[in-house]
Amino acid sequence: MTTVLGQTPPKNTDTPPTRRRVVGMLTDQRMALGVIVIVLFAGFGIINPMFFNGPFVVYPLLRDTATFTVVGLAQMCALSIGHMNLAVGRMAAVSAMAAGFSFERLHMGLVPGSLIGLAVGALVGAFTGWIIVKSQVNSFVVTLAMDFALLGLVSITYTTFTSAAAFTTKPPGMATLGNGSLGDYCIGNLCGAPNVPLLVFPALVSLIAVQYLYGLTRVGRELLSTGASLRVSRLSGIPSDRRIIQAHTISGLLAGLAGIMLAVASGSFSAAIGSEFMIPSFLGPVLGGTLLVGGAVSVLGTLLGTMLTLVIRQGLSVQGFGLETLNITLGFVLLVALSTQRLRTVTWRPWRRSRA
Amino acid sequence: MKSLWGRIPLHGSGMTLTIVFIFGFVILVVTSGGTLLSHLAISSLLIYLAVPILIGMAQMVVLAVGQMNLAIGAMGGATSALMAVLMTDHGLPVWAAIIAGLACSTALGALNGVLVVLTRLNGFIVTLGTMTMLLGVQYLLVRTFTVDGYPDWLKKAGLQTVVGIPYMFLTAILTAIVVSWYFSRTIAGRRLLATGGNPLAARLSGISNDASVFQAHVISGVLVGIASLVTIASAPGINRSIGGDWLLPSFAAAIIGGVMLTGGAVAVFGTVMAACVLRLVDVARAQYSLDTSWVNFVVGVVVLFTVALSEWRQRRSTLQKMTAEVPE
Repeated sequence: MTTVLGQTPPKNTDTPPTRRRVVGMLTDQRMALGVIVIVLFAGFGIINPMFFNGPFVVYPLLRDTATFTVVGLAQMCALSIGHMNLAVGRMAAVSAMAAGFSFERLHMGLVPGSLIGLAVGALVGAFTGWIIVKSQVNSFVVTLAMDFALLGLVSITYTTFTSAAAFTTKPPGMATLGNGSLGDYCIGNLCGAPNVPLLVFPALVSLIAVQYLYGLTRVGRELLSTGASLRVSRLSGIPSDRRIIQAHTISGLLAGLAGIMLAVASGSFSAAIGSEFMIPSFLGPVLGGTLLVGGAVSVLGTLLGTMLTLVIRQGLSVQGFGLETLNITLGFVLLVALSTQRLRTVTWRPWRRSRA
Repeated sequence: MKSLWGRIPLHGSGMTLTIVFIFGFVILVVTSGGTLLSHLAISSLLIYLAVPILIGMAQMVVLAVGQMNLAIGAMGGATSALMAVLMTDHGLPVWAAIIAGLACSTALGALNGVLVVLTRLNGFIVTLGTMTMLLGVQYLLVRTFTVDGYPDWLKKAGLQTVVGIPYMFLTAILTAIVVSWYFSRTIAGRRLLATGGNPLAARLSGISNDASVFQAHVISGVLVGIASLVTIASAPGINRSIGGDWLLPSFAAAIIGGVMLTGGAVAVFGTVMAACVLRLVDVARAQYSLDTSWVNFVVGVVVLFTVALSEWRQRRSTLQKMTAEVPE
């Protein structure tokens, strides 16, 4: 399911096809990631059975995985065209703010309010993409500056419109969505798993939609082509400027979705939403095999990479390790995992020059 | 004098920023009714200017070779924490702790450099990794406490002035002059810029790009070390939030100052002046008692505006060159 453009797999005619497929599967990065996630999960559980505790560990783990997978997908969309989105967290904050505003001030229901939040996220993303295209400035700088500007805007809005710096109105259904699980829904005697939060559904929908976009649609292929080589794409008649704006729009939309999911889970819409998103947003896709230079994405890899970081995080905190060990381990995992990835692709320049 | 400050100071972003700074300062002085000209106000303006100047240059050096350093804040935080803990809990004399701190930040810079060169990974990802780890280390060192048990004279040293100018500000300016000299007059500095400008051409002229990248990260580490020293001498104590707000200003100062993200150019004067302007925004916020959020908002908009403007200017000048070449 890795969608790569601009790279042909090495042809290996000596080995029979079935063996090649098996070897390919074993050396595949996502396979390795999946195995590591399962081994770690089992390992943490064996060391301390508390780790298998449903309501206190597995449920929050899955809920976090859902949110952070969407964050990872948001970053992945920017990475697919060789760009970065350093403002993922703040775009999430703006969307959550818009949704919260709709609930509290406009007395909207859960669905219309969330839709407004998503639309605002997409608009901010589109605006960012538009600035990048029009100014020809590196996406790193534009999104960094955007992050500053939105950070200011969000705090100003919260202090202007609320007394406690948060929108706390909960429209009907929000508590169910945030804290409910499949266990609450039964068909006859058959009930769903009680440890699977309802919030995994928006994440699943995003995963499928993004996979469909990059795997099966023309727009998706053109996005990857733009990421692989801007110049070649332009020369082949791909409207690259429009694709760049679209990639950032999708990135903003997904960031917004993640922000609303986090707000729904935590029950309040505040400026703190999304402040923790930036580093994890890179960890998931990059561990999963999405290239920083663009042209290749891995949707499943993003899910697995996110799961890996969260299993480590949750596992260590259940074992009683503090914040410091967590951070040190995560940084270490990132560096080791990516150093091994060096075999796969060698990148020298920090990024492709956008005006190549 | 011209080459001492790096790139064409008289009509570069440095000059524009100087005018902006003077203009802004005059407005602030007038609206404050002159209180900004008091000895105390001036020295506090300058003391808290030292760290932005130093971290802006730390970022500038790595940007010059086309890299970036996301770990600046975490490196500074961990180094300050180390120095404070060594003096407070382990009873090390001040000079020993300072040497240990500088060595530590230099080593951290070297670590970044080695990792980037050896793994051939993107500098963004490498420093993201080391940043995450160092945040853990900083927390490990100071926990949730504020460490301030080091000698009182060190804390006061940060506030002392010579003819009205704080020592901390002088340290930063002196460092800026050395950095500027390094890039304009030394072979190593020129090689670093050559690598940033065009790695392939640099390699063909016999320059080791690996050595340049390593060097840039080491210098960045040294500058962060000096910034940590300034922090420990001017902050009331060291806790885990030190360094947390360094990353964005470091980029802002370098970028507004006119350093290109693609590498190959430095602008020491521009970076210093950009740091001054950013500090002025902060002073203005304090004076009009505005929310801190406004500073972020203004800085973000200014960064966007600056890069868009410089890009536009650059494109216009290449266009002029192209049209000028046509008659030949």
